[in-house]
Amino acid sequence: MSKKYKLKKFLVRRYQILATILLILSAGLVLLPKYKKNEGINPDVFVKNAMNTERYISTDILVDRMINQDPSILLIDTRSEKEYEDFTLPGAINVPLKNLLEDDFNNYINQGAYDVVLFSNDNLYADQAWMLGNRLGYKNLYVLEGGLNQWFKTIVNPAEPEETMPKEAFDLYAFRKAAGMYFGIGIVENELADNKKENTKPAPAKKVIPVQKKKKGAPEGGC
Amino acid sequence: MGPLIPNGLIPTEWNFIIALIIGFFFGFILEASGFSSSRKLMGVFYGYDFAVLKVFFTAAAVSVIGLYYMDYLNWLDISKLYVHPTYLWAAIIGGVIMGIGFLAGGFCPGTSLTAVAIGKIDGIVYTIGLMLGIFIFSEFFPIIEPFFLKSYLGHITLADSFGISPYWIIFIFTIIAVVAFYFADIIRNRVKKVFY
Repeated sequence: MSKKYKLKKFLVRRYQILATILLILSAGLVLLPKYKKNEGINPDVFVKNAMNTERYISTDILVDRMINQDPSILLIDTRSEKEYEDFTLPGAINVPLKNLLEDDFNNYINQGAYDVVLFSNDNLYADQAWMLGNRLGYKNLYVLEGGLNQWFKTIVNPAEPEETMPKEAFDLYAFRKAAGMYFGIGIVENELADNKKENTKPAPAKKVIPVQKKKKGAPEGGC
Repeated sequence: MGPLIPNGLIPTEWNFIIALIIGFFFGFILEASGFSSSRKLMGVFYGYDFAVLKVFFTAAAVSVIGLYYMDYLNWLDISKLYVHPTYLWAAIIGGVIMGIGFLAGGFCPGTSLTAVAIGKIDGIVYTIGLMLGIFIFSEFFPIIEPFFLKSYLGHITLADSFGISPYWIIFIFTIIAVVAFYFADIIRNRVKKVFY
């Protein structure tokens, strides 16, 4: 048998061979062992994000944005409901860490309209919430550095600078004092009692538009 | 990794350029394989040429198997691919109208354009009719809109509506395709040869 003849004999059966290849490949899909896929971003990207400190926003910057009534910030209190009722930042929304991924709460952090600032007593809960959110690919998540403890240290009760300190320290102190005044810290007790009714009113919760699952109108087509 | 554009590996702006290039080659290959001839396309209905059936079935089978292997190997996130929304009754009626048009005119929309490209008069007439149909549909859309939107089922696939694994659907689909090819060949051998 010549080579040419062999090839010819092979090519006569080309459709059967191609059909068999298709069948084997599709059967392969059925037979392959299944595994659960990771949701969200790649682990290496996640590690890189987690090492990065860009997610931290300092209390001074946050206060500056709040006083300037920046409409794009959304404060999220990740502590428990009880702690939230005792004290929270003005305008903050309570999303307890354990409820973070439930539908009612998830909409607050999974959206593209606001810069979401997560905070807790320290960084701990807020960082955990950030990790969960970042892992799932949520955008614009920030963590208040030092949390409410830092808030008390810097805004509510800022440390007076010493005389030998540079001018910047005094400016910062003045800024923090003024910011504290803005939030009603240092107002005399009876004045506070007068305004108590107003003060106890909860700040109006921001309206949050949840991210719609993106199904872009891709170009359509048939044959 | 993939899909490349939604994952930002290729900027979104390239979308249309890539679509244009793919469309160019799609049209070229359609023409080159003789799909600009309405006689060849009509062969499916009269049983003397099953090229259309074979080509589109093979294309669907190869791409779906390839995509799911890529998904399995994590090269591609299949959930990020665009799934066309299903408007059940609108699709059924649209399909019937399209079928009648296909049978009467001898082209489907894509192939009619390849026929225009090589200057076929029937293709040109067909394309004018196509544009007219689009115009009429668009103008009357407010009237038929309630019906059009009524049977909206969302971005579903066969796997969603039957509740079985997509792998099984692909396997069954491939078997159907191979069986269809086999019977298509039998029919073609029995039908009188037509030269065109």
